[in-house]
Amino acid sequence: MTGEMKKQNQPCTLSVKDITKSFGTNAVLKGVSIDLHAGDVLVLIGGNGAGKSTLMKIIMGIYRADGGEICIDGKAVNMTNPSAALAAGVYMVPQEPMLFPNMTVEENILMGFHESSQELKKRLAKHMEELGFKLNLQRKANTLSIAEQQLVEILRGMMREAKVLILDEPTSALTFGEVQALFRVVEDLKSKGISMIYITHRLTEVFEIATDVAIMKDGVITLRGPVGEFDKEMLIRGLLPTDAEMQESGRTAYVPVPYDKLKPVMEVRNLSGYGFSNISFDLYPGEILGIAGVVGAGRTELISTIFGRDKVLGGTVKLDGKDITGLPTARILKEGINFVPEDRHYHGLFKIRSISSNTTSALLNTDEIGRVEINRKRQNEISQKYVDEFRTKIVSLEDLIGSLSGGNQQKVVIARSLSTNPKVVILDEPTRGIDAAARGDVYNIIHQLKDAGVAVLMVSSDIEEVVELADRAVTVFQGRINGEFGHDEITQDVLTGASFGIAQKKAVSE
Amino acid sequence: MNKIKDLFKARWMSSLVFLILLFLITGIADHNFLTYSNIINCFNTATMYTLLAIGIAFVIMTGEIDVSIGATLGLTAAMTGLIAQSGGSIGKMLLVCVAVGAAVGVVNGMGVAFFGVPSLIFTLGTNGLIRGLIYIVTDGRTVENFGGPIAYYGNKELFGQITLYYALTILLVAVAHVLLTRTRKGKYFIAVGDNPGGANLVGISVFRTKLIAYILCGVFAGIAGYVFASKYRQVMTVAGNGYEMTAIAACVLGGISLSGGLGNMVGAAIGAVIMSSISRLLVFIGLPSDYNNTITGVMLIVIVVVDSLTQRRSIEMSRRKRLLSRTAVGAAKGGDEA
Amino acid sequence: MKALKKLFHRWEFFLVVFLVLEFVVFGSANPKFLRVNSIMTSIVNYISVCIISLFVTLVMITGGIDIQAASIIGLTSIIEGVLWSDAGLNIWVAVVIAIVAAAVCGALSGFFVAYCGVQPMVVTLGGSFLYSGLALLISGMSATPAYQGISGFPAKVGKTFVNFRFLGKGELLGIPMQIWIYLVLILLCAWILHRTKYGERLYLIGVNQQAAEYSGINTRLVIMSTYVLSAISAALAGTLLTSNMNSAKYNHGSGYTLAIITAVVLGGTLNTGGKGSILGTVLASLIICILRYGLPLCFGVSTQNLDLPVGIILVLVVLGREIAGQHMISSLFKKRG
Repeated sequence: MTGEMKKQNQPCTLSVKDITKSFGTNAVLKGVSIDLHAGDVLVLIGGNGAGKSTLMKIIMGIYRADGGEICIDGKAVNMTNPSAALAAGVYMVPQEPMLFPNMTVEENILMGFHESSQELKKRLAKHMEELGFKLNLQRKANTLSIAEQQLVEILRGMMREAKVLILDEPTSALTFGEVQALFRVVEDLKSKGISMIYITHRLTEVFEIATDVAIMKDGVITLRGPVGEFDKEMLIRGLLPTDAEMQESGRTAYVPVPYDKLKPVMEVRNLSGYGFSNISFDLYPGEILGIAGVVGAGRTELISTIFGRDKVLGGTVKLDGKDITGLPTARILKEGINFVPEDRHYHGLFKIRSISSNTTSALLNTDEIGRVEINRKRQNEISQKYVDEFRTKIVSLEDLIGSLSGGNQQKVVIARSLSTNPKVVILDEPTRGIDAAARGDVYNIIHQLKDAGVAVLMVSSDIEEVVELADRAVTVFQGRINGEFGHDEITQDVLTGASFGIAQKKAVSE
Repeated sequence: MNKIKDLFKARWMSSLVFLILLFLITGIADHNFLTYSNIINCFNTATMYTLLAIGIAFVIMTGEIDVSIGATLGLTAAMTGLIAQSGGSIGKMLLVCVAVGAAVGVVNGMGVAFFGVPSLIFTLGTNGLIRGLIYIVTDGRTVENFGGPIAYYGNKELFGQITLYYALTILLVAVAHVLLTRTRKGKYFIAVGDNPGGANLVGISVFRTKLIAYILCGVFAGIAGYVFASKYRQVMTVAGNGYEMTAIAACVLGGISLSGGLGNMVGAAIGAVIMSSISRLLVFIGLPSDYNNTITGVMLIVIVVVDSLTQRRSIEMSRRKRLLSRTAVGAAKGGDEA
Repeated sequence: MKALKKLFHRWEFFLVVFLVLEFVVFGSANPKFLRVNSIMTSIVNYISVCIISLFVTLVMITGGIDIQAASIIGLTSIIEGVLWSDAGLNIWVAVVIAIVAAAVCGALSGFFVAYCGVQPMVVTLGGSFLYSGLALLISGMSATPAYQGISGFPAKVGKTFVNFRFLGKGELLGIPMQIWIYLVLILLCAWILHRTKYGERLYLIGVNQQAAEYSGINTRLVIMSTYVLSAISAALAGTLLTSNMNSAKYNHGSGYTLAIITAVVLGGTLNTGGKGSILGTVLASLIICILRYGLPLCFGVSTQNLDLPVGIILVLVVLGREIAGQHMISSLFKKRG
C-alpha cells in the first residue's frame, strides 16, 4: 500500500487526459484518460473497434486528437507528428511492423537517428546482447518472418531510449517460444523503469506481464486498476456487453439441428493448401459451424482456398456431391458459395461506390441485374430489400458506402454475400471492428440464415462469438483440425485450450 | 567473398552485365566496333541522359514521377543560349540553370508533397507551363549562333577521349551515389519510397524529403540544359521534348523500381548509357537507325516484365514457404508427441 | 434543393461553367470566334485527342494509365498507307487490318499490365517506343520516303469527298463526318461506362481490385480489355487523321500523349482509379480545344505556344481541387466533431 502511495506522488511518465477523436460522424474516443508511472506495464484489453489502436496512434502523433491533453513527465506535449512523439521519448511498436522492406535490418533500426553511425552501432550491439537477440543485421527486411520483424521494431524502440514504449498486439503473430522471449524483454524493460502500454486480446497474457490493466469499450475506459485486484472472470465480465445490449440480441431457446436426418451440403476431405493441411469436415444445411483458433492458425487460408483464392495442394471439396475443388472464384460463386472476408476494407468494400453498387457487385456475373445493361431499378430493389431486412442505417442507396459506420458497412458486405442466394455462406470474423448494437444485428442475421436452411461456416477469433452462435465447432491449430465439438461441448475453456493446442493434450497426459 | 556475391546480386549489376553484353554482341556483328574510342563515345554521348536520369532517380526513389524534366532542360538550354548570345560568363549560365531548375523543383515539390496532387498530373501541368515559358523567353525563335567559351567546352576532351562534361557528370554521379547510399539523410529518399508510413513513424519528414528530391531533380535537369546548349549550340523551342521518357526508361533499365524504394545512381547512369548508345550500336550491327525505337521498346518491356515476374515469384514463394512451414511445425510437433 | 446542391458539387458542373466562360470571354473579345464552322474546325483539328481520351478514361478508371495510344495513331496510319499503296489492298480492308493490328498491340500491353503485374506506366512507356518504332519500320517497306507520307487516297468527285476521304473530309447535314463519329463514340463510350455491367466492373476494379475479385469479377481480363479498347480508339483516330490529311505517315499523333492524359485528368478522372465520367472527359477536351482555338484568334497568342495556358489551367485546377477537397474534409470534421 505504501508502495502505491509513493507511486502516486511521483509525476507520471505519461499522462493522457480526456482524449476525444471522431472520424466523420463516428466518435471513436469519447474522453479517455490514462496515467503511467515509471516501470508500469498497462495492459489494455478490449474488443475490436474499441478505439485502442486509435488512442495509441494519437499518443504517437500519427493522428491528432480532437480534444484532450498528453503530458510526458508532467509537461504537456503537443503531439503534432511522430517526430514530436519520438523526441518526447515515446515509441510505438505497431500492430503491423512498419519496416523498410528493401533495406537491411541494420539500416532499418538506425534510420532516422542523428548521432554518428559508429556510436549507434555500438549501442545497437549492446541492446542486442542485453536482450539476447540473434539476428543477422545484413539481412533484408523483406526476408524476415513477422516475429523477426517485431524484434526489429522492439530494437528500434530500445534504440530510441524510449521512456514510454507502446506494444500494439505484439504477440498476435508470434509462436509460443517467441512470446516467452518477448515477455522476458518486457520484464527487463520494466526493471529499467520504462513504462509500457501493452495491447492484447489474450487474457492469459494480462496476468503474466501486467502491473495494471484497463478495459476499453466503445471509446471509453470502463475498468482499470492494478492487476492484483482482478481475476480472469472479472475481466471476462468486464469485456462482455452490458445487460441491455445482451437483451437486444434477443435469442430464443436453442433448437438443436437434426443431424441424423440431414445430408451434408458441403464435404471437405483431406484438403491441403498453403497454410493448412489435411482438413476434413462436413457442413450441414441449417447449421452454423464455427471454426476457432488463434490468428495465423491457417483458418483464413483454409476458407479463402475453398473460395478459389489460392491453390489447392491436395484433397477435395464437394458441394451437393459435385466436386468443386480448385475452381476459380467466379465459378464457386455460381455453384452456390459466398464469402464475407475478414478484412472488410481490403477485400470487402468498394469505398467510393454507392450502397447499391456494393450490395449487387457479386451479381454482375448473373443476369439478375440485366444482361448487358445494368438494371438500376432492380439493383436498388435488391439493395433496399437487404437494407430493410438488416435494419441498415442509411440515408439513400446512392450514398457512398465509405460514409457508413463500420457496422452498417459490414451489413452491406453480408448482404452482398447473400445476394447470390448461396447454399453455403462463409463468414470470416463477421463482427470484427463493429459496435455492440451492430453485432447484435449481425447475430440475428446469422440466425435467420440458419433458419432459412443456409449452411453457415464461421471463422472467429472471438471465442464468445463461437460459443453463442455455433451448433458445432472445430478448432484449427497450426494448420490442422485438432478438435471437433458438438453444441453441448462448446465452452470458452475447451475452445481456448484447443486453439492453443494445450488443454486437450494435458488432459490426455495427466 | 560475401561482398562480391552481394555485388552480383545488386540490381544495377545486371544492368552493367546487360550493357557489356550489348557491346559484345555488337562486337561480334562488327569487329570494328570494339575499339576504345567507340566505347568511350558511347559513354560521352550519354552525358545529358545521365544527368537527367540521376536527377529523376531521386524523385522515382521516393515513389513519385516528374515528366517536366524535358521541358526544364529545354528552358535552361534556351536561357543558356541567350546568355551566351549576350556575352555572359559560363558562371552566370550555370547559376541561372541551377536556379531555374531549383525553382521548377520547388514548384513541383510543393504541388506534389504539400498539396498532395498526384505527381504525374502535376508535373504534366508544369511541363506545359515550362514549354510555354520557353516560347516566351525565346520569342518562339530558335536560339543559335552563339560562340565563345561555351562552344569551346562543348566537345572538349579532357583525357583519353573522355569529354570534360562526361567526366564532370561521372563526378556528379559519384557524389549523388554516395549521398544516397552512405549518408544518413540520403537514405531518407529510399526510406520514403520504400514505406512512407514507416518513414513517418521514425520521424522522417515525407514532405521535406520529396521536396528536396524534386529540387535535386530540377537542378540536374537544369545542368543538363546547360550541357545541351553547349554541345549543340542551337536550341529549338521543342528542345528536350520526350527526353523525360528516355530518362525514365534509363532509370527502369538501371534497376530503379517505379514504385520507389529500390535502386541506386550507378544503375541510373548505366541505364542512361544503354539508352543513348542503342542507335550507335545499331549502326555497327548493320541495322538502320530506324530500328532504334523498336529495339528500345522491346528491351524495356522484356526487362520490366522479367523483373516484375521474378519479383512476384520470389514474394509468392516466400509467402508459400512461410505458410507451409506453419503446418510443417505442426506435423513435427504432432509427430513428437505421438 | 438537395439535387441542386449536389449538381453544384459535381466536377462536370464546374467544367461547364468554365466552358461557357470561355465562350463569353472569347466571343466578346472577337466576334469572329463565334463562327460555328471555325469552332467545328478547331474540334476536327483536335479530334485525335478528343477520341482517344474517351477510351483512355476507361483505362484510368480501372487504375491504369495508357501513354502508348498516341504512338498507335502513327502505326495504324502507316499500316493503312503501306497496305493500300504498296500492297495494293482495298483501302477498307487495309483499315480493318490496321485496326486489328492496333487491338493486338493494346492486348499485348494490357496482358503485361493485367497478367504480369507490371506497372502500366512502364509497360505503355515501352509500348510507346515499340509501336512508334514499328511504325517507322513499316514505313520503310514503302516506296514512298518515310518523311513524305503516303498520299493520294481515294477519292474526290468534283467538290465532294467520297470513299475513304469522306471519313475525314466529308460532311453530313453541314457537319463534318469527324464530328459525327466523335458524337457516336461519346454516346457509345458513355453507354459502356455508365449503363453496362462492363462499365460497372471497371469502376469496381478501380476502387478495389481485391474486393472485385471476391465478387467474382475476372479483373485481369477486364483490365486487359481496356487497353485493347483504347488502342482501337487510337486506330480510329489514326484512320481519321490519314483520311483528313490525305497522308499516311508513321509519326502522326506523336506528341499527343500528354494532351490525352491532360484531357482525362482535367475531366475529373481519378488517376488512382474508381472515379471519373465520360462527360467530364468530353468537357475537358472541348475546354482545351476552345482554348487552343480562341487564344490565338482573340488574344494573338502564338499557335506554337499553347502549352503554356493549358499547363497553367491544369496546374491551377488540380491544385484548386486538392485544396478545396482538403478544406471540405476538414470542415466536415469540425462540424460533426
